[in-house]
Amino acid sequence: MESISLTINGTRLSCPQGQSILQAAEAHDIKIPTLCYHHSLKPFGACRLCLVEDEKSGRIFASCVTPAASEMVIHTHSPQVIAHRRTIVSLMMAEHPESCIVCNKGNRCHLRMIAAELGIGDNALYPMPNFAALEQANPYITRDLSKCILCGKCIRADHELVCAGAIDYNSRGFNSRPVTLYELPLEKSSCTFCGTCVSICPTGALSAKMQFVGTPEKESTSICGFCGVGCSLELGVAGDKIVDVNPSHLKNSVNDATLCVRGHFAHDFLNSKKRLTQPLIRTEEDLTPTTWDEALETAAQRMLEIKERYGPDSIAFLGSSKCTNEENYLFQKIARTIFQTNHVDNGGYMSGRLFLDLVDKRTDGAGRFNFFAGPFSGLEQAEVVFVVGAEPSQAVPVFDYYLKRSARKGIPLILANHRKIDLAGPGSIWIHPQGTPPAAGRTADTFYLELINLISALLLDKEAFDTSFVSRFTSGFERYQEELLSLSREDCLDKADLDAQTIALAVDLLAGKKITFVVGDGLMLHRYGKETMDALLNLALMTGSIGYKGAGFHIVSKENNLVGAWDMGAVPDALPGRLKVARSEDRARWEKAWGVKIPESRGMDLLEMIKSAENGRLKALYIMGENPLRSLPQPDLLLNALKSLKCLIVQDILFSETAGIADVVLPAAAFSEKAGSFTNMEGKIQCFSPAVPPPGLGKPDLEILTLFAEKLAAPGNTGSHQQIRKEISSVITSYSNGAACKHPIWIREKAQPEDSQAEEHIRFSPVATSAETEADGRYPFTAFFRSLRFHLGSGTRTEQSSRITAGEEQGEIEVAPADAEKMSLADNDRIRVTSAAGKIERNIRINPKVEDGHIYIPTAFEANGARLLLRLEPFFENDSGGWSSCAVAIDKAETMTMDR
Amino acid sequence: MKATEIDWDRFAEIIEKHAQKKWGLIPLLQEVQERFGYIPPETIGAVAEALDLYPSHVQGVITFYAGFSTEPRGKCVLKVCRGTACHVKGGKSILRVIKRDLDLEEGETSPDYQFTLETAACLGACFLAPAMMVDREYYGKLNPTKVTSVIGEYRKPEGDE
Ligand code: SF4
Ligand code: SF4
Ligand code: SF4
Ligand code: FES
Ligand code: FES
Repeated sequence: MESISLTINGTRLSCPQGQSILQAAEAHDIKIPTLCYHHSLKPFGACRLCLVEDEKSGRIFASCVTPAASEMVIHTHSPQVIAHRRTIVSLMMAEHPESCIVCNKGNRCHLRMIAAELGIGDNALYPMPNFAALEQANPYITRDLSKCILCGKCIRADHELVCAGAIDYNSRGFNSRPVTLYELPLEKSSCTFCGTCVSICPTGALSAKMQFVGTPEKESTSICGFCGVGCSLELGVAGDKIVDVNPSHLKNSVNDATLCVRGHFAHDFLNSKKRLTQPLIRTEEDLTPTTWDEALETAAQRMLEIKERYGPDSIAFLGSSKCTNEENYLFQKIARTIFQTNHVDNGGYMSGRLFLDLVDKRTDGAGRFNFFAGPFSGLEQAEVVFVVGAEPSQAVPVFDYYLKRSARKGIPLILANHRKIDLAGPGSIWIHPQGTPPAAGRTADTFYLELINLISALLLDKEAFDTSFVSRFTSGFERYQEELLSLSREDCLDKADLDAQTIALAVDLLAGKKITFVVGDGLMLHRYGKETMDALLNLALMTGSIGYKGAGFHIVSKENNLVGAWDMGAVPDALPGRLKVARSEDRARWEKAWGVKIPESRGMDLLEMIKSAENGRLKALYIMGENPLRSLPQPDLLLNALKSLKCLIVQDILFSETAGIADVVLPAAAFSEKAGSFTNMEGKIQCFSPAVPPPGLGKPDLEILTLFAEKLAAPGNTGSHQQIRKEISSVITSYSNGAACKHPIWIREKAQPEDSQAEEHIRFSPVATSAETEADGRYPFTAFFRSLRFHLGSGTRTEQSSRITAGEEQGEIEVAPADAEKMSLADNDRIRVTSAAGKIERNIRINPKVEDGHIYIPTAFEANGARLLLRLEPFFENDSGGWSSCAVAIDKAETMTMDR
Repeated sequence: MKATEIDWDRFAEIIEKHAQKKWGLIPLLQEVQERFGYIPPETIGAVAEALDLYPSHVQGVITFYAGFSTEPRGKCVLKVCRGTACHVKGGKSILRVIKRDLDLEEGETSPDYQFTLETAACLGACFLAPAMMVDREYYGKLNPTKVTSVIGEYRKPEGDE
């Protein structure tokens, strides 16, 4: 780009053509006050605070909307400019109410800062405050629009960044205000309570509702503790508590100026009364406080004894997709080296770890070939986005903003989902079962797999495959081709109850393009999830949608360190770096690094561990940062299994259901109280430092593990996070640039595997189809499990936020209008839902977005009760029915008025 | 024209004509306004969807322009000028007379949907001050008698409808 030269405040500088004067100045550290400008938003030119003077013409203009021109001579603080600026701010103040002292924005109010800078206190202007009613019925955001200066930042953020379209200006002149459609309260609008507008509002017009009043003493940058997007946060600290959360000011963060409702408001759990503050040990029936020394000594002795007596197969370790890379690494290392067991898994079992495995299996581990789409920003270059079984606006909201932004730019979108999700727009194609009986009752099982098979077959008919990619990089294409050719297209249409025309449109759109896949929860816990994922991988290979800018797979990960825990080897079949346990060369690499032999066969996964405990073979389980008693189906069965263990160690931040039955409970530190790194779903490794100390006697998990290893008299297993990080990066190539993390926050893409260019041949896997199942007359409805954006996973942490639990959503079951009418159900009526495994009762909400014969049950609410309808069996095995939906019966329950 | 009677078929025709057109919003709204006499708020969602805009944005545009109204308006819209020139020439008492004659306040519509009374900052006809407009017709150099007779011309003839 051509650059131009100009002079600002006597300094000669150059900037690229097309930059505004303000951008040019900022790039050279020349400060110009602004109120309506934000680097991520389109300039608006509303506040006129950024006025500057051009010496040559004597003109004064707003620098944020004026392009820098060659040979301009600009003054940002000339007497004339200052005089104008003072008038502007004085006018704003005259319209502003006099409640600065008690304003929630406090010292972060930009208007106040600027007024102070310009020395404007009480002014002579006649005060003309614009009174507006305070809006604060919702638990998250207070709107006091009398303090609004009409900078339009909230509106632009809402439209341009988060694409919610909840607010816009109405009217004009003095009456103009940012309002929702029909001027309804926020909770009745399309607002998602992401809080982005709150953080970006320069005044107290929009503020977060807090128990805490005042200004946090300091801010500390961190990474969100919830989902796999890995947003950067600015934690507001008062004393030793986190009292406020905003998006970080980092310019290269994933989320920029945005957050979601969880990230913004649900971190309340950090200050929950249920935080564990001291080690506990079981004496008789009760858990009683004890010292660290005794707790760790007991834990170590019992585990060693059990190993001694029953052998390594009697011990298992459950790591956490919420704990750091360093912690998971050390955790599995202790399991593998000291206890000589591969029985290691992590909570990611329930949120997509098996999908990552499938991808890996194709490439023989170690990610030698990159199926993953990489940075979210690649979506801008995507040719077509195919969203399968995902509802990103609920699971990974900030990633959803990326999708919505790319859709608004005109990048075509195909959605395959039973429900019309809010990504659907005029430019998108929504594929779903038509609801024609008798297929309707079965499509929950058949839909995805048959659909992907059909699309692949039709693309093949069109010869829409990437010949050069197929021949260079794949093997088995001929067989795959034959299998697809012999596939009956009618069967697919029929089984999945699809509309042929819609499919034809989708196939036309996909033909000849590189595809960006987004795969979500709807598929990951699906009974045919594995087969469907295989079909999708085949489709990706056939179309060459791999290793191409923006194309490939985005696997929605609901937990912030799902990828990291997997990379670090907190899984039964892989060592750190995704090296396979079963392969001797892979094992040898770690055996050399650790100086011990590693057991040769893969270990048990989470469900196998539970089965083994049930059978009395597993004797000891060490759980770090997971709460299976709340997250898994059939809790009674699980409770029995866990109770039959000789030793259950739970290391966690909250006194969870699972901690309640442990023999030793170790109080850990939350992410904001420790140092470490998380790897997000793009593969970004993000490091962070503590903002506050852990409550009470709590300790960072890494320190606990180190102390535990010391008690085991295994000194090689200790170290600070820097040392551990170094150890990791010395062996795992993709983490090789992780060691040099010196800054408090540090973001780095995972390094590409060395041999990613290698001409490996990736196999097509056989085409699988869904089995014909008889609909069970006793369970005529299909219940889909839906995780709403307000909660994460089973809700253990998010439930601790009183703001979240006070929200509109109380876990109501969504019912289609026609079904409601048939059963004469009205909103808030109570129904009983019965499946083959169990029953629950809940209130309902009628929603026209729900198709007839379907109901949607939000997970996490009411102690994650939805899982009571499922069976504790590996959902990947086809007769288990999966964990994403199940067949149910519903009937009206005795009405019980629930006062909220 | 009452708030409750939206002719959705007619509305669909208008939508179809403008759907997916760039810069289609204002012409679309103008047509709705003209054909329905107002823009029924319940149509905002459909308008937004047709043009791929946020509903809140459509509402913003409607409420920004004085030419659009979200409430049903009378068959005849009176705009009485309150500009400086008209004020000097007694525009205030003209407004008073009209309010009394129609029994309406500014911004109100008569229960039979015959009249809507509005005021304007300047009608751009200062040489005719005091001035008003009825629909697209200008009436200048007003005095109370003239006003009453103009209004009379627009009254619904007895027995109509
Ligand atoms: S909270 Fe988020 S969705 Fe709601 S108005 Fe603000 S920016 Fe829009
Ligand atoms: S509410 Fe805040 S961000 Fe929105 S226009 Fe007013 S001052 Fe600006
Ligand atoms: S999108 Fe995920 S990482 Fe970002 S704020 Fe929300 S929960 Fe946190
Ligand atoms: S910052 Fe330039 S006009 Fe507001
Ligand atoms: S002042 Fe009335 S027409 Fe201009």
